Amino acid sequence: MIATVPSATLLGVEGRPVSIEAHVSNGLPGFTIVGLPDAACRESRDRVRAALLSSGLPWPLKRVTVNLAPSGVRKGGPGLDLPIAVALLVAAGELPSTCADGMAFLGELGLDGSLRPVPGLVPMVAAMAAKTVVVPPPSVREAAVLGRHEVRCAATVRELVDALRGEEPWPDPPPPGSGEQATAATPIPLDLADVRGQPVGRMAAEVCAAGGHHLLLVGPPGAGKTMLARRLPALLPPLPPELALEATIVHSAAGVPLPAGGLVERPPFRAPHHGASAVALVGGGSAWMRPGEISLSHGGVLFLDELGEFPGPVLDSLRQPLEEGVVRLSRARGSVTLPARFLLVAATNPCPCGRGGGDGQCRCGPAARSRYRRRLSAPLLDRFDLRVVVSRPDAATLVGGEAGEPSTAVAARVADARRQAAERGVPCNAELPPGRLDEVGPLAPAAARLLEYKLRAGTLSGRGLHRVRRVARTLADLAGAGLVVSEEHVCLALGLRGDPGLEEVAS
Amino acid sequence: MTGGLPPEAYAAALAALPGVGPAELGRLLAGGRGPGEAWRRALADRRPRPPDDVVANGWAALRAAGVGVSVVGLPGYPPALVSDLEAPAVLFAKGDVAAIEGRRVAIVGTRNCSRYGRDVAFELGRDLAAQGVRVVSGLALGIDGAAHAGALAAGVAPPVAVVGSGLDVVYPRRHDHLWRQIGEAGVLLSEAPLGAPPEAWRFPVRNRILAALAEVVVVVESPHAGGSRYTVDAAMSRDRPIMAVPGPVRSRTSDLPNALLSEGCHPARDALDVLVALDLAPAAAGRPGARTPADTRPPPEPVEAAVLEAVGWQPASFEQVVVASGRPPAEVGLALAHLERDGWVAASGGWWERNGTG
Repeated sequence: MIATVPSATLLGVEGRPVSIEAHVSNGLPGFTIVGLPDAACRESRDRVRAALLSSGLPWPLKRVTVNLAPSGVRKGGPGLDLPIAVALLVAAGELPSTCADGMAFLGELGLDGSLRPVPGLVPMVAAMAAKTVVVPPPSVREAAVLGRHEVRCAATVRELVDALRGEEPWPDPPPPGSGEQATAATPIPLDLADVRGQPVGRMAAEVCAAGGHHLLLVGPPGAGKTMLARRLPALLPPLPPELALEATIVHSAAGVPLPAGGLVERPPFRAPHHGASAVALVGGGSAWMRPGEISLSHGGVLFLDELGEFPGPVLDSLRQPLEEGVVRLSRARGSVTLPARFLLVAATNPCPCGRGGGDGQCRCGPAARSRYRRRLSAPLLDRFDLRVVVSRPDAATLVGGEAGEPSTAVAARVADARRQAAERGVPCNAELPPGRLDEVGPLAPAAARLLEYKLRAGTLSGRGLHRVRRVARTLADLAGAGLVVSEEHVCLALGLRGDPGLEEVAS
Repeated sequence: MTGGLPPEAYAAALAALPGVGPAELGRLLAGGRGPGEAWRRALADRRPRPPDDVVANGWAALRAAGVGVSVVGLPGYPPALVSDLEAPAVLFAKGDVAAIEGRRVAIVGTRNCSRYGRDVAFELGRDLAAQGVRVVSGLALGIDGAAHAGALAAGVAPPVAVVGSGLDVVYPRRHDHLWRQIGEAGVLLSEAPLGAPPEAWRFPVRNRILAALAEVVVVVESPHAGGSRYTVDAAMSRDRPIMAVPGPVRSRTSDLPNALLSEGCHPARDALDVLVALDLAPAAAGRPGARTPADTRPPPEPVEAAVLEAVGWQPASFEQVVVASGRPPAEVGLALAHLERDGWVAASGGWWERNGTG
């Protein structure tokens, strides 16, 4: 007897359809799985056998061969346990041969016959052509995110077999919120109102959110760099549907818990520790190319605290994704493209001792300071449109000062600025091509004169000019100014683009 | 013995022997029987014995590098150092040693200086050199380099640099250009042989030569425990007058000069103060009402003036200026841009500071 059951496996953030073929024939009893299974997949042999026996189902004392087709694609993970079990039961005659038609299966089996959720469900379900998808109960919500399939669940192999035989109705999916797979704890919303003082830091956060400009915060420990950065996602508008789906797929593929609604609708915020490896950041590593932090922050914010402590090669690996919005991972076994359109926010101390400031204010020698600065490569620093120095607010501001403007008010301005950018045909001003700057943001005469002076004095580069003009465009949008970018906004853009890393200690 | 080599060649070879520092070198050369004899005696108990041609080769290398050698007790040794108790026994010089002769002031300070210190050191160097005073310093980053750059800018008196490494080892690398300029316009001195790396111990030792050469030592900026402390101590033990540039009492980099002032050193507010100490200007030379020539910068507008006030004389971040001025960031940004254009403020690495003079 032979039976075929559709399922899927994961590579990067893409599901690949897999057909499970089971063949049961006379011969010496044995069970082999062929078709490039990885270790977890090969072990399903033992899990499936134990699960069937614990469920009171007979194990065929025959020669059993399971093939995972197409056999050239490497299959990873335990998600194929369930379809292998179903194919085997059909092939062994335990299930009617047509009962599983039009159904795809995904799930891990426990030795006791229970069904367990697996990571990467969303992209794998997306790859399935079948009308109905059967998953473990905790995964129902995740599988239903796409809305293209009828999703059914069963808690145990026994339940599944009964339902497939038509002896029992399909079990109801668990009510939302009860005993489901761990959902991402809803973060306590962090409000910008908590930030006292720091007018420039707040403004930089607003401009960063509105224009999609990468932000570098430089300041001594305790200046509130992290505090500002963590409040950024609240300023960003919710993700548009396609982006939300992409983000959800990435989260699912990486096995990161999804929010309660199933769909990642709020811009994600990822803050990897500076011990992160290049693979942890850009992705790859395992056989199925797990997405890295930059993909997990797709559509949201990637916050790198203590930027100077990250190893140089790790940081430089961010440059290509920053430029292209995707990361291409190539390995011997194949290459995948992962989405990685994120807002980079970084914080760093000005020098190793942290108290630094202008020349002569800290205890670090010039060599130590320039070594510290050299850790950040100039091309990476150049990606930051906004580079602001934040300083500790004084005690009076912290204790008695007024609360700042709440996030909602700022978010409204940000949304309005993003809408203006959308009218120009770009998601945000940071992506305006240089050629269109004159069309969408012509400079007032005084502003043009100032930039010309800066260029001639050598304090602004040609590339820096475009970046300043984009930020000035965003500032003008936030201020509700018209088409022409005034001198005021250009000056402010220049003020928000300090050069904390690029300048040598002149002497 | 190879014939025809001058005694300086043997002295230079002695200085280049491994394990021979300034003190040991002085002891070896003290016998009074000349460097040639000192060389032979030094070799007698040395294992392994250096190759025979080391003296001739060393001499050829010195000639090729254009480095002169002065040996204490031989003609050509700078008179300024002859009577010093810790005079370097062998002095290497690139440039004209005679450039040392004249009035000399050492300008010293920290490498990690503030913009204020750098500006003052530059102006002191420039204004003193313009009066024909040789500016002596150590060619380090920060104050030293600024003083030398000022002296070169004046282009009158030749600058004198006393460095810690061999004269063919440019240190710090960033002063490559300054190093060459001083070699051409003035003189570079070192007691380290060619090829000597900039080892840490050489710098405090080098500072005694600075003190010995200077008639007045001016400390511009230095923290308490800075290398300038060695120069000050060496100057004190030689009874050289020490002057200090007053700085903000809260500035770490002005700790040493402020402490020196409280101990009774004379303040060096500008070159005129130093010139008075050198008797090159009458003490009664009343300062004109305005010490600096009339400011040619366009006066700031009222808003700009308020922002300028908020910038202050210490480096301030954009945010600090915004907070101090109490004005909206956009207005401050505009004012700062105008002030920078007109030369009232300067930005460096994201920090704003007032400019002393235009």
